[in-house]
Order: sequence, then structure tokens, then C-alpha cells
Amino acid sequence: MRALAIGLALLLPACIASNVVAVEQREVGSALDGLAFRPVAAPQLDGFYESVDIRGDAAVSLRRIYYVFDARGTYTAAALAEVDGVLQFQTLGGTWSVGPGGLVLDGQEPVPCEEAPEHVRLVAPSGAVVLRKGRLQ
Amino acid sequence: MVAKLLRGLGVLFVLLPLLAAVAGFLVLKDRVTIVIAADQQAANGPDPVALLRDELRSLQAEVGAMQQAMTTNFERLAEALENRAELRHADVQALRSELAALARQCQQQGSDAVARHAELVARTATAAAATGPVPEAPTAPVEKVPEPGPLPTPVVPPVAEPAPVVPKKAGFLSFALPTARFQFDAPQDYVLVPELCRVGFDAKSTLHDFTGVTSQVRGRFRADFDDPAGAWTGEVTVQAASLKTGVDGRDDGLRERLDIGQHPELVFKIERFVPGGNGIDVAKQTASGELLGTMTIRGQARSVRMPLQIEVDPQKRVVVRGQLPLKLSDYGVPVPSQLGVINMQDEVVVWVALRARQQVEARK
Repeated sequence: MRALAIGLALLLPACIASNVVAVEQREVGSALDGLAFRPVAAPQLDGFYESVDIRGDAAVSLRRIYYVFDARGTYTAAALAEVDGVLQFQTLGGTWSVGPGGLVLDGQEPVPCEEAPEHVRLVAPSGAVVLRKGRLQ
Repeated sequence: MVAKLLRGLGVLFVLLPLLAAVAGFLVLKDRVTIVIAADQQAANGPDPVALLRDELRSLQAEVGAMQQAMTTNFERLAEALENRAELRHADVQALRSELAALARQCQQQGSDAVARHAELVARTATAAAATGPVPEAPTAPVEKVPEPGPLPTPVVPPVAEPAPVVPKKAGFLSFALPTARFQFDAPQDYVLVPELCRVGFDAKSTLHDFTGVTSQVRGRFRADFDDPAGAWTGEVTVQAASLKTGVDGRDDGLRERLDIGQHPELVFKIERFVPGGNGIDVAKQTASGELLGTMTIRGQARSVRMPLQIEVDPQKRVVVRGQLPLKLSDYGVPVPSQLGVINMQDEVVVWVALRARQQVEARK
């Protein structure tokens, strides 16, 4: 019996693989790690987008952003923001265009754009947002 | 004879009642009890008139006290109203002065405008005289400008209440955002983001090493990363049943040994942070040191010190990494052993990889 147990002990390691998580892999990874963004002068932006990553000071209060850019040059958007400790949706709409400096919203300063497959990154002075292109159903 | 008979009858009349009285006393002396009863009215209670008088005196005293208190309160109210009225009066006087200055300024500007108009008219007339008559061109009728009359007394519009102060908004892609900024060096409340948190343990056994891990973590803490005293508070809770080691049978055994029926949660209560290692760098927003607290596993609480590294990610979330070794036997957790040959070591390494979001405080 003891010999059988010892035999099993020698054989089982070959059956059950070790699953120790390396120290550097303990954290939850980001789905954006594999994306390579490149600057783009005239991105094709019309469509529906939702944010998958917000960075900078804007990230302190912003949780999620949604944009619908219409091909006619108008847009509607919603942002889920934490205001005074409470999550609130903020909606707005206006005009958009693409110029040499990037995306122009409501005639303001252009926002530089970078593109990756199905994603666009907008870099504003107070933060950056990565938007993923979605499909409205 | 008659006289003797009458004397005998007289003596008999005197002695008979006396004898009857003595006989009566002798017969009744043991049967008669004399009781002195208390006054019936007094037994029924105190004198109601006296009570009424006493109550009246109490009421008079209370009314007197109330009168005194009301007098004092009215005096205070009058004083407060007078002070407020004086303040309002001063404000009104200041506003009046300001408005008078504005009125004078308007009057002066009006006078200047009239003077400039007159000068322009004179120059035009001089120029016309020098160049001679000019044939009139057919032009559209022009509305006649009335001569400037005396300036009306400026009417002071009613002074509106100052508008409430609206907090400044910082724009981001056309959105108006609150001015909340991440503060590393101030006491702040943080809430764990479970989707971005992992807690686990690394164990060694005769067969191979393995890790148990879960993301079912919740918790919050309050910390000032720049505070050398490290007065942190908070709690992190892990759902014990959610720990996965990659082998179903082993998970079942783990849940059994942790007695999740009685103790479904593993709890770490945060008590203090002691800076150490590279210390605190406010500019880089990093800190390292030891987190002191109480670990509760299977209902057994033990004080522990967990080395930690803290940083802030680009998304403005606090990243907390730490680990500490502990013995299962210290917490009453049976160490697994199969057939006495396949044994798991008593010591495991518990680790955390947490991300917490700063809670935006309510601003009044």
C-alpha cells in the first residue's frame, strides 16, 4: 500500500501541472496592452464609441464616456461622472469635424487623435480617453 | 313609726341605686372595651386646602421662572436684532456710497459725450464753410437725431442678491467636469475596484506548488499616503468560497478546511501604515512600508504586518501590492495531507494586488 502511494506521488506531478501565478502576473491586466496606436490626421470617426480607458485628471471623476458621431457633422454624447460623491450622467450634443490638428468639437481647439484597430485615442490637456468603436443594435 | 318607716325607705332609695351600680360594674367590667378612634376626616388624607395652597405656590414659582426666562430671551433677541440691523445699515450705507460714485461717473461721462458732440458739430460746420455748398445727393431719408438735452438723473437699478458661487468646471472633450483632483498627500477615502483586484495565496506541496486566487474582493479604506504616522483605517474582505486553485477537488477541500459555512469571509482589518523601504515620494506618488492590521481566517484573528508597495496608475487609481507569509495552523486551518505522503506545507504566502479609486468627496 505504501509503495503504491509512493508510486502515485511520483506519477501525479506529471498529471497535475503547477499553476503558480508569477509575481508580475498577479495584477489584473489591461485589454489595451496589445494595442498599438498611431497618430492619424483625418480619422474616420462617424459611428458609435464607448470609452474603455480614461487617464489623467479627468479620470478622477469620469467613469465612462459614450459618443455617437453622425456623418452629417453633429454628435451626441454622454459621460458617467462622479459629482459630489454621486454618479451622474451628463449629456451633450453639438458639431464635430476633423481638421489637421485632430477632432474639433463645437469649434473648440482640435484634439489630437491616434488610431488602433477598432479604437481611437483622444488626447486632451486634462486627460486622454481610448474609445472603442461599437455597433448600435 | 311612720317617721322610722320613711327614714328606712329613704336610706333604701339611696343604697339601692348604689348597690345596683356596684353590681352592674362587677358584671360588666370584663365585657366593656374602650377604644379611642382617630379622626375620620384625618384618616382620609391631607387637607385639600393645604394642597391647593401648595400647588398654587408651585405654579406661582414656575410662572415667575418662565417670566424671567422670557425676559432674558427677549433681551437677547432684541440685542441680536439690533446688531443685525446695524450690520445691514452699514451695508446699505456702503452700497449707497458706491451707487453715488457710479452716478457721478455716469454724469461725468454724459457731460464728456455732450462736449464731444458739440465739438464735432462745430468742426463739421467749419469744414462745410471751407469747401462750399455741396450738391445734395439723393439719399434715403435719415432719421433726425434729436438734440441732446440735459442728461436724466441716473436711475439706480435695484441691487440684486449676489448669485450663488458655482464651482468651476474643467472641460474635457466638451464635457464640464467637477474640479476634483487626485490628492496623494491628503486624507482621502478609497474604494476597491473588485474587477481590478486579485487576492491569492501561494502554497507548496509534495506534488507541486499551486496558487489559489479570487477577484471577489471588496473593501474601502481611508489613508493619507504622506502621513508619517500612517493613521489608516479600513477593511478588505474576501469571499473564501471564491478562491480557485485550478483543481476542482482541491477547491472543495479548501472550502471544507476554511469552514466556509461558518466563516464565509476572510477579513483584513487595516490599522496603521508604517513607512519604510523607499519611504514616501509625493512627487512620484509612491509609498512603501508595512501595513499593520488584523487578519481573520476561519474565525481566528491574528495581528500581522504586511509589506506594501503603493503607486498611482495613469487612470488615477491607487495600486496596492503586498504579500506576507503565514501558517495555516495559526488560524486553525487543517493542513491537507493525502495518505501521509502527499503533504501541503503549513506555511503559505498570502498576496494582494489591489486597485482602489479615490472617492470624490461631496462638496458643499
